[in-house]
Amino acid sequence: MNFVTGYCRLNEDFCAVNGEVISRRDVDSEDSWFKQIYKEQEFVYPKFYKMDLLSQAGFLGAELIKRANLRVAGSYPDDEIAMIFANSSSSTDTDMRFLRSYEGNSSPSPSLFVYTLPNIVLGEIAILNKWYGENMFAILPNFEPGFYINYLNITKSGGSKAALCGWLEILEGKVDVFLFFVEENEETGTPLNAENLASLFNHKPSIN
Amino acid sequence: MSYIGAEVIISPLGDTAEENWNALAQNRSGISFVEGAGYTGEGMYLAKMLALNTTRRFKNLLIQALTKVSELIDSQIITSTRTIVIISSTKGALDTDIKDQFAGPAAALSRHFKLANQPITVSNACISGVLAINTAGKLVEAGIYEHAIVIGCDVISDFVVNGFQSLFAVSDKPCAPFDNARNGITLGEGCGAVVLSTSKDIFKETPFQLLAGASANDANHISGPSRTGEGLFRSVIKTLTSNKIDTAEIDFICAHGTATIYNDEMESIAFDRLSMSNIPLSSLKGYFGHTLGAAGLIETATSIQMMRNSELVKSLGYSEKGTSKPLNIITVNEKRRLSAVLKTASGFGGGNASLLIRSI
Repeated sequence: MNFVTGYCRLNEDFCAVNGEVISRRDVDSEDSWFKQIYKEQEFVYPKFYKMDLLSQAGFLGAELIKRANLRVAGSYPDDEIAMIFANSSSSTDTDMRFLRSYEGNSSPSPSLFVYTLPNIVLGEIAILNKWYGENMFAILPNFEPGFYINYLNITKSGGSKAALCGWLEILEGKVDVFLFFVEENEETGTPLNAENLASLFNHKPSIN
Repeated sequence: MSYIGAEVIISPLGDTAEENWNALAQNRSGISFVEGAGYTGEGMYLAKMLALNTTRRFKNLLIQALTKVSELIDSQIITSTRTIVIISSTKGALDTDIKDQFAGPAAALSRHFKLANQPITVSNACISGVLAINTAGKLVEAGIYEHAIVIGCDVISDFVVNGFQSLFAVSDKPCAPFDNARNGITLGEGCGAVVLSTSKDIFKETPFQLLAGASANDANHISGPSRTGEGLFRSVIKTLTSNKIDTAEIDFICAHGTATIYNDEMESIAFDRLSMSNIPLSSLKGYFGHTLGAAGLIETATSIQMMRNSELVKSLGYSEKGTSKPLNIITVNEKRRLSAVLKTASGFGGGNASLLIRSI
């Protein structure tokens, strides 16, 4: 049986790990919201600054879950953690930036173009962690617990024992991000079913 | 194991798998020089469907493909509650509406055919097609659905052309996979489809077996292939072992072969590490160009056509060894019975995927 053993929720205003708010957006800051989190949490990974917003969000969510659940980084061979991500607007936010890069007389930006695919975030997380496991990025109309449950069910045949799952919706300033780690037989976690997944996704942490 | 068949190919070479097969058997390419194409309007080689200049090309191709699929199977399968449609694409309808690349076209397809289940779109760069077929096969094997229809489609847009030109990844001649003089990709467009099912009776023509495989990330670079072919190596090993297939059983490898210097070199290293250098191998990019999210579907459908026709077609564009490790590239068409075929794909984001098709 599968259990959710760590999760991170990130929207326009707050970032929460396992239901506890760890960071709130400072609207007066000169830094972007994701850079605020990066600095507050004292991450050191200069490549973060080159990433597009989808990859930055995936980086932050994955690293915060790793800090809260040490098994993510320590308990699995390098190809037994699958990544199962989805969203509804693909890489549209970055697609529009790339499109603007060659409007008028300017030249298309290669450094933006390489981020115009939604699965690049999977590559970034794989590179950071040296994870050689299975990858999936799907486009769905809405967050759909059944997609993750079905896909987790079928990744076992490829040898995956755990999975980092994600809903990464970022478009024109809107941020709706939910990453969660799934393990087998770790009963300290929340049993993975559609109801629990929807409830973790919809839970709004209280304002302290 | 699941059954695979009802293959559809829509490309510059024709609107059906048979038309495409006839062109391939004559070694005809869908690539042509398109005047005015390219960032500065200099013209470039593309595998472009020149007759297809309507709007909403992505949505129309999806509908055309599913219409053709319905003629090749028991047509009641299309609307069954036990059927899922999986779409494979990198940029969807971006050329029509950048803010509605997938949801609108998927909903239109669903309405047009009165599909019982919401289609899923797989968007995983150039491995999307192989990944989507594997997903479909495993969903069917696990009993989550009885049937799965996979449609891969991408259309050429200024967006994609400008992007690959900005990376200096586009060939100045029709692409030449694995050849010594290769210098980049030729972009293509088109649509491919296959059906997966627990039942072989839904197919009008004899199906094959899909032995679904695994994906593996290179964990190396977001836009460059691994120097050691690590992800491709791991993907193929997992696909062979999980299906208990021995290397000696494979009659043909339908490789990815984009014709960039680094990709083809990476594949030669991975196949060498897999002790597969002597297995007949080809890239179909010389016929269809690189159709991105459609490539896995078009190339798997073509592999099935090769099996049906017991013929290997030559790897178009290849004449001289151009990789550090040797490969057994097919240089002339050859009649041969094919029992088992390996299809691989590699792409941006470090993804690699593979699958096996076996005759029943």
